[in-house]
Amino acid sequence: MTEEKMPSFMRSLCMGRIEQDVLLPFPTMRDGDKEMLQGVAEALSSMLGAHEEDFRRWDREGEFPSEYIDELKEFGAFGLIIPEDEGGLGFGSMAYSRALQEVAKYDASTAVTIGAHSSIGMRGLKLFGTDEQKKRYYPKLSTGEMIAAFCLTEPGAGSDAASIATVAKRDGDDWVLNGNKLWITNGGIASFFTVFAKTDASKRGGMTAFIVTTEMEGVSVGPHEDKMGLRASSTTTVNFDEVRVPADHMLGEEGQGFKVAMKILNSGRTGLGGGSVGAMKKIIEMATAQASERKQFGQAIKDFGLIQQKIGQMVVDCYAAESVVTLVAGLVDAGHEDYAVEAAISKVFATEALWRTADEGLQVAGGNGYMCEFPYERMLRDCRINRIFEGTNDILRLFIALTGMNGVASELKELASLRKSIFSHPIKGFGVLSDYATKQAQLRTGIRAEGTHFTRLVPELAAYADSFEDATRELATATDRVLRKHGKGIIGKQFATRRLAEIMIDLFVWAAVMARVNDAIAAGADDAEQQREILHVFAGAATKRIRHQLRRIDDNDDETLKSVAAHAFELGRFAWDTI
Amino acid sequence: MKILVPIKRVADPDNANKVKVAPDGSSVTSEGLEWKLNPFDEWSLEAALRLTENAAEKSRVGEVVVVTIGPKDATQTIRQGLAMGAERAIRVEGDDAQLDAWQVASVLAAVAKKEQPDLIIMGKQVVDGDSNVVPQYLAELLGWPALNYAQSLTTDAEGKTVKAQRELDTGVETLEVDGPAVITCADRILHPQAVKNGVTPDDFTYPAIEGGRYATLKGIMKAKRKPIDETTVGDLGVEAAATVQYTAFELPPARSGNTTFVESVEELVEKLHADAKVL
Ligand SMILES: Cc1cc2nc3c(=O)[nH]c(=O)nc-3n(C[C@H](O)[C@H](O)[C@H](O)COP(=O)(O)OP(=O)(O)OC[C@H]3O[C@@H](n4cnc5c(N)ncnc54)[C@H](O)[C@@H]3O)c2cc1C
Repeated sequence: MTEEKMPSFMRSLCMGRIEQDVLLPFPTMRDGDKEMLQGVAEALSSMLGAHEEDFRRWDREGEFPSEYIDELKEFGAFGLIIPEDEGGLGFGSMAYSRALQEVAKYDASTAVTIGAHSSIGMRGLKLFGTDEQKKRYYPKLSTGEMIAAFCLTEPGAGSDAASIATVAKRDGDDWVLNGNKLWITNGGIASFFTVFAKTDASKRGGMTAFIVTTEMEGVSVGPHEDKMGLRASSTTTVNFDEVRVPADHMLGEEGQGFKVAMKILNSGRTGLGGGSVGAMKKIIEMATAQASERKQFGQAIKDFGLIQQKIGQMVVDCYAAESVVTLVAGLVDAGHEDYAVEAAISKVFATEALWRTADEGLQVAGGNGYMCEFPYERMLRDCRINRIFEGTNDILRLFIALTGMNGVASELKELASLRKSIFSHPIKGFGVLSDYATKQAQLRTGIRAEGTHFTRLVPELAAYADSFEDATRELATATDRVLRKHGKGIIGKQFATRRLAEIMIDLFVWAAVMARVNDAIAAGADDAEQQREILHVFAGAATKRIRHQLRRIDDNDDETLKSVAAHAFELGRFAWDTI
Repeated sequence: MKILVPIKRVADPDNANKVKVAPDGSSVTSEGLEWKLNPFDEWSLEAALRLTENAAEKSRVGEVVVVTIGPKDATQTIRQGLAMGAERAIRVEGDDAQLDAWQVASVLAAVAKKEQPDLIIMGKQVVDGDSNVVPQYLAELLGWPALNYAQSLTTDAEGKTVKAQRELDTGVETLEVDGPAVITCADRILHPQAVKNGVTPDDFTYPAIEGGRYATLKGIMKAKRKPIDETTVGDLGVEAAATVQYTAFELPPARSGNTTFVESVEELVEKLHADAKVL
């Protein structure tokens, strides 16, 4: 645990401050953990490698056989994050994320089965459970005797989780639960459910989290959903009909359910991130082999520039995703508390990087990529959901920008109230105002102020640090401008919010890549130069994207595009034809 | 039943091309190599684990002790053995690249005298040195029967008598010895029904595997807490001198990698004789 509370990197960045202590040193595993994880990775690949053919079949059949789930239990796959003295493996975020990476190289359905258990299903118990609750359930959850699921989504409540209709009413020592949950991963194999239900009908989001088990009467699950991808993983409805839940099964405090849900999702993000990185590594391996073997026009297609461009981009994307996921996992392990924005960025970036990689990997394979005989198409189908569940990437973008801007907003608010009271407290008011004015002037002119520059990077990275600092100043200025313009109304300005989110995503990933490359150079790694090249490509592309977004804040076609959409909504169809 | 299984790390046989010889030819360098458990040792460890468990009930009924002679780094290999299921480990400090077969056998004999196992099951050879004599030296030093290339093993529940089969050019030979004995295994020992110990039901079928069983995550975590005794050649009172002196090492000449397709057997023979000069 860190002594002092570290600020959120992104919240500070939006105010123009670069908290380099959050980035450096780039987190690494301790030697002992490294050795153990090597063993874990090898063990996972021998266990999963033996099933490579089965995974293809199970995808078609749309279900794992129960013997395979038993094998996973026996193997210890469900105990990853449970403390060692409770029978688990005691993995921190980095080790957990790395383990899921290995699993995802072989099969996304398996990764999600394990992930829904550890990342979200039982994470509420880990984060908010009482000692008594933990003592009761850890042993069974660690062996997989109980598999866990996370029940938030309902037919009427997806992104708007606060609008759930499942209710829990207090009755004596129990809560009586009624409602229906939809698309619950592990629904068909789980017996431990973290369930969110409304406990205060008078308040939007007045909900509470409960531990519900299949031993309680009135819990039932629906049939396996027939899905595009992750076909072998179990997804079902979970229904609660007059289920009596003892009051000591509450997770966290009454009425705090929404916060509990968000904390669970934040804390579990590096699992999905790690899985995405693993799948990318596998695709890069397959695509490089394919491009080296396949000959057209008398040469291996790997000699063609367009193929090289794709492979190079995949490597840059994978390195960037691995960097940002590892950095966030490191922050969690180091005891940071304020990492929600950074975790959301890692989820958005890693899942989209995987989507691009799966798409381009399939393209490199050509027609073979489209054939079910090869894993490309399955991996493409499997990874599409990543951009939807655990918070859609669209919603997360809004979250990233709005939360990232929080710090600036409260500064501005303070400023506004001070301005009002400036005549009653002229001295105090003037001091703060001039502070703010000085800061803004520094931002605009780029004058060196403490905390707005990198001082701990190796000299080889000076140019990248410079352009990062420039972009940071631009971000801070833009945030200030956008907030002044829209004030509270920013919530409804999704076009503008999204632009800021894109900039923030690029900057945080860039920072993660830069920190990792920095430490590789400082340590004299053999391949430090190759890593610097990756930073070079990423930083160059990010700079261009950021510039574009900044320009579009004021100069854009938002209103015109809205009008085009409005027309389509009005007609309910595409209006034109050429006949 | 207590079984002693000597194990050794080897440079990853799938990456043998990374092995380098020091410029002066005095040694083979192991820098930067990935270590793997000697494949033959993996089979014998698997056989030992099968002999000491009730596979149907997934419980251990005997003890497997792995022993290695090697530097501190070799601990990783030991942990692998422990993660697969061995109860205990012994590491004898030593430079595994410098010892010859006689010295290795002498050290193992000293360990065996201390440990008093019912059986020693070991690889017939190590894929780096390939000498294939340590088991025989060891049996001789201990005065125990040696039983080579077992393709099946059957013991009574106490592990006192061992029935083994092995394949000869003329057929299958069945042997029976009273322990303690030194046993080496052939790859068929991994057959789903090759090992029977009188505890696991006779009709139990192991999954078909290529090496030893994989370590489970639980096994890896448990292995972190299993005891590893560390000792030295001196502590064991072994004074064996090397009987083999290495004079020089050199890498085999690089292969040209050319492929030539021939039309007929005559042409093949002609080419093998005239070009390849192997006939
Ligand atoms: C395979 C699978 C497994 C799942 N597993 C689980 C699970 O284990 N537990 C669980 O609780 N849930 C699970 N879910 C549900 C998943 O989390 C939801 O699908 C997700 O939260 C999105 O909700 P929705 O599908 O209702 O989409 P909606 O919320 O209806 O969104 C539809 C579209 O509208 C956009 N949108 C919504 N609101 C806004 C807004 N305010 N501004 C801009 N755009 C907006 C969204 O981004 C999206 O593009 C799973 C889903 C699937 C498909």
